[in-house]
Amino acid sequence: MAAPSFDAIVVGSGITGGWAAKELCERGLKTLVLEAGRPIDPARDYVEHVPPWEMKFRGFGDRKALERDQFIQRHCYACNEYSGKFFVNDRDNPYTFDPAKPFHWIRGRQVGGKSIMWGRQVYRWSDLDFDANARDGFGVDWPIRYADIAPWYDHVEEFIGISGEALGLPQLPDGKFLPPMALNCAEQVVKDGIAKHFAGERVLTIGRAAILTQAHGGRAACHYCGPCERGCITHSYFNSIGVTLPAARATGRLTLRPYSVVHSVIYDEQRDRAAGVRVIDGQTREALEFRARIVFLCASTLESTRILLNSKTRRFPTGLANSSGVLGHNLMDHAMGGGANGTIPGMEDRSVHGNRPNGIYVPRFRNVKTPHPDFLRGYGFQGGGGRGGWGRAASQPGFGVELKRALRTQGPWGFSLYGFGECLPRPTNSVEIDPDKVDAWGVPALRIHCEWSDNERKLLHDMSVSGAEMLEAAGAKDVTPFVDDNQCHDVKNLFVTDGACMASSACQNPSITYMALTARAAAYAVESMNRREL
Amino acid sequence: MNRRELCRVLGAAVASPALSRLSANELWAVGRRAHARGPGLGFRVLDPHQAETVEMIAELIIPETDTPGARAARLPEFIDLLLAEWAPDDDRKQFLDGLADVDARARAASAADFRSASEAQRVAILTALDAEAQEARKAKADGKPHFFDHMKFVTVYGYCTSEAGATAELHYEAIPGAFEPCAPMDRWRAAPGDF
Repeated sequence: MAAPSFDAIVVGSGITGGWAAKELCERGLKTLVLEAGRPIDPARDYVEHVPPWEMKFRGFGDRKALERDQFIQRHCYACNEYSGKFFVNDRDNPYTFDPAKPFHWIRGRQVGGKSIMWGRQVYRWSDLDFDANARDGFGVDWPIRYADIAPWYDHVEEFIGISGEALGLPQLPDGKFLPPMALNCAEQVVKDGIAKHFAGERVLTIGRAAILTQAHGGRAACHYCGPCERGCITHSYFNSIGVTLPAARATGRLTLRPYSVVHSVIYDEQRDRAAGVRVIDGQTREALEFRARIVFLCASTLESTRILLNSKTRRFPTGLANSSGVLGHNLMDHAMGGGANGTIPGMEDRSVHGNRPNGIYVPRFRNVKTPHPDFLRGYGFQGGGGRGGWGRAASQPGFGVELKRALRTQGPWGFSLYGFGECLPRPTNSVEIDPDKVDAWGVPALRIHCEWSDNERKLLHDMSVSGAEMLEAAGAKDVTPFVDDNQCHDVKNLFVTDGACMASSACQNPSITYMALTARAAAYAVESMNRREL
Repeated sequence: MNRRELCRVLGAAVASPALSRLSANELWAVGRRAHARGPGLGFRVLDPHQAETVEMIAELIIPETDTPGARAARLPEFIDLLLAEWAPDDDRKQFLDGLADVDARARAASAADFRSASEAQRVAILTALDAEAQEARKAKADGKPHFFDHMKFVTVYGYCTSEAGATAELHYEAIPGAFEPCAPMDRWRAAPGDF
């Protein structure tokens, strides 16, 4: 068949797909973006200002539908009655795992991908992260260092708008920041307590977030309604629909095709290069082919890996570009589940007004200056302080006027620290094609093997110890350390688009690094094409 | 004005540093009209007697004061929806058994049923149920919640997420417009992120 021809194909329209589209289109390439899911119209689909009484179950969610259709996705906090429509149907999108080692693969299939309901936290990596594999021997060495990626972090941050505080820490490089959001009363107390007791070794700062604190690039500042994951009609947080895809469209070179499930990459054996992709139309199930000079896989860590594994050829019998045999191995997630909480006494006549869609950050302090005796690498903390709201009335004793008064007052200031630990790259954490399972479009599904090693378990334990130390240093009461190391959680992957290329995972949220790597790769691709090397 | 126009108006607010509270409320009122639900379905689980019993218990848990109480929030409709479409079978049975038990307790106190019991008798019944629920929770932190815990939970959540409760009692604002991190405040003002 005569397939339409493009200069470039981008598979995926989320955090990295949007960046690839913008950079390739702006550099002159006629670009086709293939998105597996449906189109999104913010005016119709975003629901952040719909009040609870207009939701059928008032935000409780349709329990039976969730258990039937989203039994994996519902483990993500953001998959609720409002924003559950931005998460996939698990029956249509199956994958398998050993029930003893559950892995929650959180996915979004629509124009915008997971950039609609990602966590919006953005932290640059440093050479502490890019050097890590070379230093301790786990995984393969990164081919780049901070100096290679720093200008691309600048490029991405200046365009999308990041609010945050510059700290001058070598392990967490500062970026191009808009004014930071404010710490609330309790967070200020904990920040001061940590500063006093840990002499700069541990620091608390406001989260660095892809949320605007002032107008930027034609988008409005945040209006503090809170639940970004339901969408944002003012485009105040970054997602591809409101930021990168419009820039790509403005060039006149973008073709965006929703309902396009990519099956595999077409490999031209004679010319030893990717020729295009095989697509199954999501609505008609028709098999299609699209051809282009270059192909960008921006479908998410696991989807891009799945596409490569499904692209077997004579030269690559175990999946395209897998001459090393590494494809599908070294799956990494963040080690989560360790931390501490407590209450901060006083300030009972103070509260916040507005929902700040951002928390605090404690940058990594383990294995930064001195090696820790028990484990490699490290973790950062996210979390924050706040007062209990109306929901606490449901579990307090009594009824009547006294109970009703609890609805308009607030509980004590609570404070929580949740660790985000770096997972070591290990070949045994891996994915492969399950020979017995296909998705609703007939595309072979993944089988996932993922579990923590001793190193992650030690990180999780240390999070609970160091988290409790910091809260106690800040004068918190009822400090409770917690550790939950049973599962290979995938909440982190909610924020990920294309991490399939990563050699290590660091402890910072990775999305900004994916965006910078995508922009850098797009520039390289076009330069190479212009030099006729590609 | 529809939701698409609302987007346009909010988009035009780029130039101002923060949206004024007045315009935020106006905009929200527009959104509220744009998303208004149609009339509710008839009761599917609760019979009229049970619905009236639920309404009486709910109003005792959250009574009308300077703001509306549970009755204004039409709790029986919401609870009936949860029982019909949300609750697992054993939870629904436990809830209906709990309502029957409330009538049995009224009869033990020489009333015909909970509905026709005196105010003092009704308060005494709920006081006893509340104490039993607290005891049950202490004894079995991870056990199945007592009927009265269940009733209190759906009453609090149903009231706070109702238009009457969220607006009059919680002072719901769809668009706070700014973040005040440590303001003197004695009154909760809820925003979308609180639901």
